[in-house]
Amino acid sequence: MAFLLPAAIVLFVVTILPSIFLIATSFTPFDLTKPNSLTFAGLRNYEQLLRDDRFWNSTWVQARLSFWTVSLQMLFGLGLAVLLNSRMRALEAVRTAFIVPMVLPPVVVALTWKILFTPDVSPINWLLGLLRLPQPAWLVDPTLALWALIIADVWQWFPFVFLMLLAALQMMPEEPIEAARIDGASALQVFRYITLPLLRPVLLIAVLFRLIDSIKAFPNIFIMTGGGPGIATEATNYYAYLQGFSYTFIGFSSAITVVMLVTTFAMSCTILRTLGRTVDVE
Amino acid sequence: MVRPHRPPLARTIRRGLVLALVAILILIVLFPFYWLVQMSFKTEREAFQMPPQIVFVPTLQNYVSVLQGKFVRALGNSAITATTTTVLSLLLGVPAAYALSRARFGSDWAISLWMLATRMAPPIAFGIPFFLIYKNLELIDTLHGLIIIYLTFNLSLVIWTMRTFFDGLPVSLEEAAYIDGAGVFETFLRVTLPLSTPGLATTAIFCFLLSWNDFFYSLILARSDALTAPVAIVNFMNYESWEYGKISAGGTLIMLPVVVFSLAVKKYLVSGLTAGAIKG
Repeated sequence: MAFLLPAAIVLFVVTILPSIFLIATSFTPFDLTKPNSLTFAGLRNYEQLLRDDRFWNSTWVQARLSFWTVSLQMLFGLGLAVLLNSRMRALEAVRTAFIVPMVLPPVVVALTWKILFTPDVSPINWLLGLLRLPQPAWLVDPTLALWALIIADVWQWFPFVFLMLLAALQMMPEEPIEAARIDGASALQVFRYITLPLLRPVLLIAVLFRLIDSIKAFPNIFIMTGGGPGIATEATNYYAYLQGFSYTFIGFSSAITVVMLVTTFAMSCTILRTLGRTVDVE
Repeated sequence: MVRPHRPPLARTIRRGLVLALVAILILIVLFPFYWLVQMSFKTEREAFQMPPQIVFVPTLQNYVSVLQGKFVRALGNSAITATTTTVLSLLLGVPAAYALSRARFGSDWAISLWMLATRMAPPIAFGIPFFLIYKNLELIDTLHGLIIIYLTFNLSLVIWTMRTFFDGLPVSLEEAAYIDGAGVFETFLRVTLPLSTPGLATTAIFCFLLSWNDFFYSLILARSDALTAPVAIVNFMNYESWEYGKISAGGTLIMLPVVVFSLAVKKYLVSGLTAGAIKG
């Protein structure tokens, strides 16, 4: 008990108390510039949120960002893992190389892609020019700016999906696959009816983690686009930050954060429940 | 039906294609990383030259000018906060993980849920309450403040990974120590901990990396004195001009320890990043 108590107390103080505090401030109109505004206002922030077009815009941006980053990461990750699932020695080199993007400090990733997407300095645009393709100003175009964020995120995190799935593939029992082959199943059928169902739990866990992280995305937006042009890339997390720390409306920002937390929690629980129904994980 | 034997030529071609694909992929994956690093060794004029110069005379000018400014202090702040929070998390978390592993409370799902819940929370969820509390306690822009808030993610990470590690250690050695008359504390210190060095090292590296990489908390909780390197580097992005040399040199300095450390723990990387869902 003496071993457990200090950690339990610290965890309580640094995580539970702040969470309660966050929910409490979400019921106040608290504004940093008005120290006396820490008063109870009921659900007013939440009502205001429902009528706030900019909030709804942020959820739409968030939905597109999450959908595309997670699906592309899963697609590339799975495709590569299946393709490279062999005992080749060259694989070790791939694994090591693929670790680099996902451990880089987020701020470095954001700055690097900002440079790569800035016309005049961008080697990407130079290459496009060589191929006589248009050289877009990525970060100032409303559609392309979102895609620039998606590309940067997919680059950083598809290796994570790849490494997870490759590990799962290499631990997969060989008997069912051999048996199916002997029965005359084609490579595609083996993949569709044996490999994919066996991978299902790992796939779901990968989706879970990528989804959670896509909602937390911050440094890329902060550095690459600042939510712009206009509000074209203003995802919910970034909008909450702006309301709280640029406009000083802490109460309103807390309400956005609470909504975001509840949504993430609900989505994760759904994924975990699907997971629990198929296989008891681990 | 047995699959027809593949002729050797087709197999060689297939192998060659896969290898070529692997090579292209490594190039794509490493290109942005390479681009930033090579930029840090170029002069401003060379950096913007298109077509880019592959071969050039490297200059250390960017590093010299970065290390002469305030950025050194920010790097120091990063090192101090990341190291201190790692030590604190281990001191608090390792005994707790040990107790949870040996006492068998049947609390697996509870810890798992706890890990996931803290993993789910966007930084702003802790950022807002900590910001308000720190304002009252005058902890804004202090290293102490950052060290404490990093415990929100590090402590549960230590508890989770070390508990899994202790679960894998044989209990028989500890029982032998008890029979020889050693107490719980002595056994933990003299028998269990020395056996746990690999687990401790991996966990420590994880904590260090997570804190070192933090951007959001430092952005909202530090102003100038306690600014860490990831936020300090953003100051090289001015409205009128970007100091590309300093950005690339500073960025390279920030990622150097990260790349070195993470290659050391590459085997455990995925399990560390999915703590809470998969046992390492």
